Amino acid sequence: MAVDLYIVYAFLFASLYFEVFLLTSFIERRFRAPRSDSNANTVLRSVAIVVPCFNEEKTIAATLSSLLLLDYPHEKLEIVVVDDGSSDRTLEIAQTYTNDARVRVFHKENGGKFTAMNFALERTSAELIGCLDADSIVESAALRKIMPVFENPLVAAATPGIHVKEPATVLQHMQNVEYRLSVFNRFALASLGSAFITPGPFSLFRAAVIRDLGAWRHGHATEDMEMALRIQDAGFLIANVPEAIVHTGTPATFPALFRQRVRWTYGWLLNAIDYRYMFGNREYGNLGLIILPSAIISIFAGIYFFARIVFFTTWWIATSIERVHATGVYPHASLDLFYVNTSALWFLIYMSVALIFTLLCAGTMIGTEGRRLPPKATPLFLLFYSFLVPLWLSAAVFRAAFRTGVRWR
Amino acid sequence: MESPVTNVRTARWGSYVVAFLITALMFATALYASNYFNNARINDIRATQDDISTDILSLETQFDLLAEHSCSNIGENTILPSELASLGNQLSYMEAQGGNTEEITRLKRLYSLLEIKDYLLMQQLATRCNLKPVFILYFYSNKGDCADCENQGYVLTGLSQTYPQLRVYSFDYNLDVGGLQTLLSIYNVKSAPPGRLPALVINGKVYYGFKTTDDIQKILPQLKTLQKASTSTPVKK
Repeated sequence: MAVDLYIVYAFLFASLYFEVFLLTSFIERRFRAPRSDSNANTVLRSVAIVVPCFNEEKTIAATLSSLLLLDYPHEKLEIVVVDDGSSDRTLEIAQTYTNDARVRVFHKENGGKFTAMNFALERTSAELIGCLDADSIVESAALRKIMPVFENPLVAAATPGIHVKEPATVLQHMQNVEYRLSVFNRFALASLGSAFITPGPFSLFRAAVIRDLGAWRHGHATEDMEMALRIQDAGFLIANVPEAIVHTGTPATFPALFRQRVRWTYGWLLNAIDYRYMFGNREYGNLGLIILPSAIISIFAGIYFFARIVFFTTWWIATSIERVHATGVYPHASLDLFYVNTSALWFLIYMSVALIFTLLCAGTMIGTEGRRLPPKATPLFLLFYSFLVPLWLSAAVFRAAFRTGVRWR
Repeated sequence: MESPVTNVRTARWGSYVVAFLITALMFATALYASNYFNNARINDIRATQDDISTDILSLETQFDLLAEHSCSNIGENTILPSELASLGNQLSYMEAQGGNTEEITRLKRLYSLLEIKDYLLMQQLATRCNLKPVFILYFYSNKGDCADCENQGYVLTGLSQTYPQLRVYSFDYNLDVGGLQTLLSIYNVKSAPPGRLPALVINGKVYYGFKTTDDIQKILPQLKTLQKASTSTPVKK
């Protein structure tokens, strides 16, 4: 039991340390770093937005319509739809948009998202190449807002502020909160030079850098993580612009969410193995010393806490049943304040939850430019979501250990 | 608009140290808060014990002064069984939580003495004032040699809740208190061979091993003379 408590406290310390580090870095940036106050002198570079799609007939029209509404010079924007072997009406719907000169539609054999991106990369001369998943819609000002960060020649990629598109189910509302928290994390990590994911919805890249680095790879079904790590490895920066807003579709049911997250975590773990030389390596600064190790520790901490809760809950239920059977006396909860658990462990858990709420508020502040409050599902997220996460973490660790592979869908 | 890409590749050792210090401060605060509430609980128990101690002393004094002429007055002022039971539960909880074991053992010793004092006083009252209190002396061990002690505790707690006037005195067999050792020798309660405990002393006779609610009701028919609680909520003063 003593060993168990040492492990719990060690994991709690690591988790709290990571949260505190992100928050203090964010505060330091917020109050010390200069703010770029104008977009007036920003060069509007030529951009190709790739829409890789596979059986997206229900959502592709909204995605393309939002792209056509982008506030960006027409001659500098091309929209490249790559139908990756769809068997539904995706291609037919996409082709109805070709009357706009900015839109080009291609069809190829199914090969996965990274092949669709490379297909487009070979067919564009744009300076920047972006990706927009066919289940996402982008706000009209997003592209213009991203452009200033590319004034820095070290910036090879930029990520937007990603929000959940029209949450409907309880699970989507909880993901809405999670995405708001990710807005903070993505911004904080970028400001530490440590972004290690360039997500599918509206990440932009310097096409020349991508070509030099050898284009997109399979990356264990998470080409967005692999590319980000490769960019970091090459010494470039990945910026984040939370004001460039994109809304993305999220899984509505638990099985769909579970599959998606197992794929993400599985890919992350295997990419982490491929890029293991970055871990603890001072050459990669904050990314190598703090961020990557913390990201791995958080996976195992989540699994350990969950396993512990399951073990003790099962043990408590079993002993209670046995006791009732032996004694005939049913347990009753005491409302006496004397029996409220005030162990240090519980205080640390309360602090950790409070800290997550603070990060969530910060994410809301920068993600909505201070216009909105944290989502209404925040209490649900704080209470229950941490019980769901370890389920896919455990499955992903198991699959990664045995290299089972994952399905895209 | 934020500019998130200035001088970011280098490690920020200063930030690492600041974050470490803040995290360490949070841990220290959690430990301090936990310790603070545990001490508050111990003080709570100590205050209750002081109250009970004063009540017993007062009762003894009253008893000595007025003898059998004022049985009715004395009867109204006895220590409620639920008070002692509640104190016992609180001590068990604190013991299970760990922490300041030395202080908790000290409180347990005092609690055992208070129980014995109350038991003796009730016996005297019963004799002189013709009362018929119902007692159970319960001896347990938490040294790992009594598999059924926890369940026996639950059975007795259940009985106390059903019959608020039942006086259950629970004693840690291994507690080094002179008064308790004397009580053990009076009733000849032995823990050997291992696994013999729990032991119950009912109407002067020792019963070893786990006893269910039905077993105790058969051994102690006087239970039926006690009024049942209207609900299972422990009676409070």
